[in-house]
Amino acid sequence: MRGLLLLAALLACLFVSVMIGEAPVKLAEGFQALLGQGSDLNRQIIWELRLPRALLAIIIGAGLGASGAALQGYTRNELAAPGILGFSACAALGAVLALYFGLSGWVTPAALLGAALGALLILAMTGLKKGSDVLILAGVGIGALATAVTGLVMNFAPNPWALSEIIYWMMGSLRHADMGALFIAGPLTALGLSCLWFIGKDLKTLSLGEVTAQSLGVSLGRVQIILVAGVALCVGSGVAIAGAIGFVGLFVPHIIRMMFGADPAKLILRSALGGGLFLLLADIAVRLMSGPGTTLYLGILTSLIGVPFFLWLVVREVRS
Amino acid sequence: MTRLRAQNIKAGYGPCDVIADLSVAAEPGQLIALIGPNGSGKSTLIKALAGLLPIRSGGIYLDDMNMVDIPVRLRAKRMAYLAQERLAQAVMTVREILELGRAPYRGRLGQISDAGEAAINRAVEAAQLRDFLPRKFGQLSGGEQARVLMGRALAVDADILLADEPIAALDPYYQIAMMDILKAEAARGKTVITALHDLSLAHQYADIVWVMDEGELKHMGDASRVLTPEVLKSVFRLTAQNFEKLFFWN
Repeated sequence: MRGLLLLAALLACLFVSVMIGEAPVKLAEGFQALLGQGSDLNRQIIWELRLPRALLAIIIGAGLGASGAALQGYTRNELAAPGILGFSACAALGAVLALYFGLSGWVTPAALLGAALGALLILAMTGLKKGSDVLILAGVGIGALATAVTGLVMNFAPNPWALSEIIYWMMGSLRHADMGALFIAGPLTALGLSCLWFIGKDLKTLSLGEVTAQSLGVSLGRVQIILVAGVALCVGSGVAIAGAIGFVGLFVPHIIRMMFGADPAKLILRSALGGGLFLLLADIAVRLMSGPGTTLYLGILTSLIGVPFFLWLVVREVRS
Repeated sequence: MTRLRAQNIKAGYGPCDVIADLSVAAEPGQLIALIGPNGSGKSTLIKALAGLLPIRSGGIYLDDMNMVDIPVRLRAKRMAYLAQERLAQAVMTVREILELGRAPYRGRLGQISDAGEAAINRAVEAAQLRDFLPRKFGQLSGGEQARVLMGRALAVDADILLADEPIAALDPYYQIAMMDILKAEAARGKTVITALHDLSLAHQYADIVWVMDEGELKHMGDASRVLTPEVLKSVFRLTAQNFEKLFFWN
């Protein structure tokens, strides 16, 4: 029921997002274009620019939200976020390397490759011992290394243009969103979300502690592999398309938990919906606030509007 | 009903073997108290018997099936384990926690079957949780939380119940309540093994006592035969004077 509420809000915002923008397309015209009628230009604006961008915002937000929820469930630590497994940093390193070598067209595949390598490295390390403590330590270590190497690459940036390209990319944006990006991020995120949904029940059992969960038939090793794969797919594809986007993975699960309850199994899909909704709203705000000459970056805005809302929820929670 | 048997097992952590070459058997309908000093290997033995700690040699058998040949899910249906740490999400309701006991029986989308509901209901009655069902775990007292987690273990309705110090840090009322629950489970034909530090409760309740020290089972048998001053003094390294202090009422 509550999931349906989120879904309805998401669809409403999707409609709003497609109907607004810089190009002067009236509501009636936009609606016509959405149905495949009206002028070619309007159809192109709606179908090839606005819709892919809005859908990508939803997909990437959903991947980040669900990843955060799954990681918080697995580690039983509410401070866990997709960032702690280091995949965003690894994906960012891949992208930054591509930008460093002037290969702008290779940013997405390089970022995906970075995330995949990060995931393999983590699985190799956690093969030594199953359990959330090893997973977190390995993730934090690998992430820190990737961040350091990213810093090194920026340090040796060949020219100011490459450096500014890297910095802007790291602030996160959906301005490169198109159908091609949608066809990359869509299937990968769908696969990642399926992985995370699949382990939802096990995460709930894990709230009783790792040993008790094992006694109830949960295989820690299997859960861990599926979790790492799911997060790597969601975060890797998200970062590859939109750059670094903070806040969503850490705070959206909290917001969903405070508003809808804490069941770790249900939290994953709800956080996916919540993350999608949140990033879509943030992108609408970015587009409304950016004018000619000024471009606001999504990664900055997510934190700017997300954190005050989150703090308000915390205050409300503490007061009650 | 299932007989649980360990044969020449060795288990431990890292480079150390905590238990070495240990053999023991537990029969259905028995309440077995596992006693011994801190660090003697009680928790390790319980985890090994529950299949939660890989053994390094020897074998553990459920009737005649070797544990290593039993799929994880099936093992989870036949053996329930109650951890010493009382972990659960504070915001979960008691009912939700009890439902987790049915995890081995549920698929990804699976609802709880009628048999599952019956098992949960029996656990609710046995652990007297009827009034607590809608309450949140975090709102309960330590004793109530212990009883909820005991209820969770009972909801598995497994043939074998392994409990690791289920009465630690509980007041006398809850200690007795928990021991009564374990006794009732044994009376239903279950094999119940519980690590205990309270020797007088072990004496009161257990059919069989296993005395563990330095990774070995030093004494096994009827409570009245095993729990003698000589055994206790040697295993717990008590002087005659300390022994007087502990058992002043005897």
